[in-house]
Amino acid sequence: MKIRHVLLSIVGMCLLMSGCAQPPAEQINAAEQAVREAQQSGAATYVANDYAKVEGLLAAMKTEVAEQESKFALLRDYGKAEQLAASAKAEAERVKADAAKKTEEAKFAATQAHQAAQASVASTMDLVAKAPAGKDRAALESIKADADALKASLNDVQMMLDKADYLGAETKAKAIQQKADAVSHEIETALAKIGKGKTVAKRK
Amino acid sequence: MRARIPSVASSLRCVWALALWGSLVGCVETVPPEMVEAIESLDRDLLHLRAAEVAPGEYASFVHRWVTLRTRVEAEEDTIRWPWEPNDLEAALRQLQAEGARTVARLTEQQDAERRAAARQLAEVEGDAQALASQVRSIDSRLILAEKPVETDLLLKQARAFYEQGRYDQSLQASGHASRHLAAQSALLQRELGRYANPDRIAEWQRMARDTIEWSRTHHTAAIVVSKAERSLTLYRGGQKVLSYPVRLGFNGIKEKRYQGDGATPEGRYRIAGKRGRGQTQYYRALLLDYPNQEDRRQFVNDRKKGRIPAFRSIGGQIEIHGVDNELMAQTLGCVMLENPQMAMLFDRVDNGTPVTIVGALVEHNSVARALANLSPRRDEV
Repeated sequence: MKIRHVLLSIVGMCLLMSGCAQPPAEQINAAEQAVREAQQSGAATYVANDYAKVEGLLAAMKTEVAEQESKFALLRDYGKAEQLAASAKAEAERVKADAAKKTEEAKFAATQAHQAAQASVASTMDLVAKAPAGKDRAALESIKADADALKASLNDVQMMLDKADYLGAETKAKAIQQKADAVSHEIETALAKIGKGKTVAKRK
Repeated sequence: MRARIPSVASSLRCVWALALWGSLVGCVETVPPEMVEAIESLDRDLLHLRAAEVAPGEYASFVHRWVTLRTRVEAEEDTIRWPWEPNDLEAALRQLQAEGARTVARLTEQQDAERRAAARQLAEVEGDAQALASQVRSIDSRLILAEKPVETDLLLKQARAFYEQGRYDQSLQASGHASRHLAAQSALLQRELGRYANPDRIAEWQRMARDTIEWSRTHHTAAIVVSKAERSLTLYRGGQKVLSYPVRLGFNGIKEKRYQGDGATPEGRYRIAGKRGRGQTQYYRALLLDYPNQEDRRQFVNDRKKGRIPAFRSIGGQIEIHGVDNELMAQTLGCVMLENPQMAMLFDRVDNGTPVTIVGALVEHNSVARALANLSPRRDEV
């Protein structure tokens, strides 16, 4: 009789212990936090595919937790959810590090492109100042307007850099540089043709 | 009787044979490795197609299922199954493979369509930009557009760069933006130069020219008519055309003159207020006009009141019909310029007080009106 009581107690304890299985809240929170941090580090922009995979892991973990929660309390097992949470956290941390690296690379490339564009525009402005007040005044004024517009566009690049839109900034800076070089070439061709002219001030 | 009873050895042989058969036929892998490889390949294809960006929900679902199933594949790697045993893992993988393949096919098609749309739009907008630039060049109206052509050019360069990087959505966005810039430029030209296509305004200019010619006829003297759109100067004497020369205008000559330094050539009825011969002008010879006249002053005051003219600008003056001193100085800021031999001919045939009427255009189908007609109607905005 005594033995039967002891056995029943042991079985009851086991059932109680297994019935108390709870979702791994700490690991889940840690995984979610890591994914958030990865997202904030620009992962969605600079390592979009890897980040999507991390989100996939997180979604898989949530589905697993929900599946276990839908089961009878005594049959729940959160082991797999824990594994997924650990994988999601580890991947998110890796992706965050990658994103930080890629962001730095993109920032560097954009800054370089911005500097190159600034140099090109400055060179264009210098040439505009030297441009002859020759026969085609309309063309000269057009070139001046182009150079002024290019100078103004450099501010847009700076704003993009400030907003951490490095890909957009790099593309725009390169476009500005191309255009500035084209305008410079146009002026150089004109200078080569007719030489330097004198400046004239006249009331009209 | 004894012979019918199988020996222990033969029984063992049977068991061994059954075990061998079982290991050869029944020992099947849970999941064929080629299926796993196929799904991994689909995953790579999806990454290449930037599925995470273009179909984030679909890709997340694929990844989620793949992660779950791969965990099971790894867990069941060493499991031996009987061939007749149901294999739900393989069935799930097969389903994922089929769905993944469908997604890859759909995204490939979608990306192709996007690439084609981006290429088409970019080509159209680049074509529009070239057409606009060509029309603008034909009527010397580039300056009216100020910084806008450069902004458009930069957008098109960006669109081209995005296209080459395979970022078709961003390319479409940039070329769409460029297209709207072109429409704004077109509208600005219509607003600034629409008078060249306005029949009432042209009729008024024709009347001004007729009056000038009539004055020449009735007074048996010289009179000059300058048409800005036609870039021509015509000298009349006794109402008869004596000579006609091509002219160059100010660097912004096609516009209506509003203030000093705007590069525009004024329109109106003027008279020669002074003749400047050799040594009196830096432009070979010059005929000074009485700009600004009363009407110009009234218009200037009106425009300033309406805020159309910056406060620091004055009305200007020294508008002349002049020649070219030398090639390097061959510029004009708002005057009417002739080649020197033609200037010499004209100079000798006019006097102080000779009427000079400057009009926008003398015919309805003038160069500016034609250019504006070519700009409108433009293709619908992208």
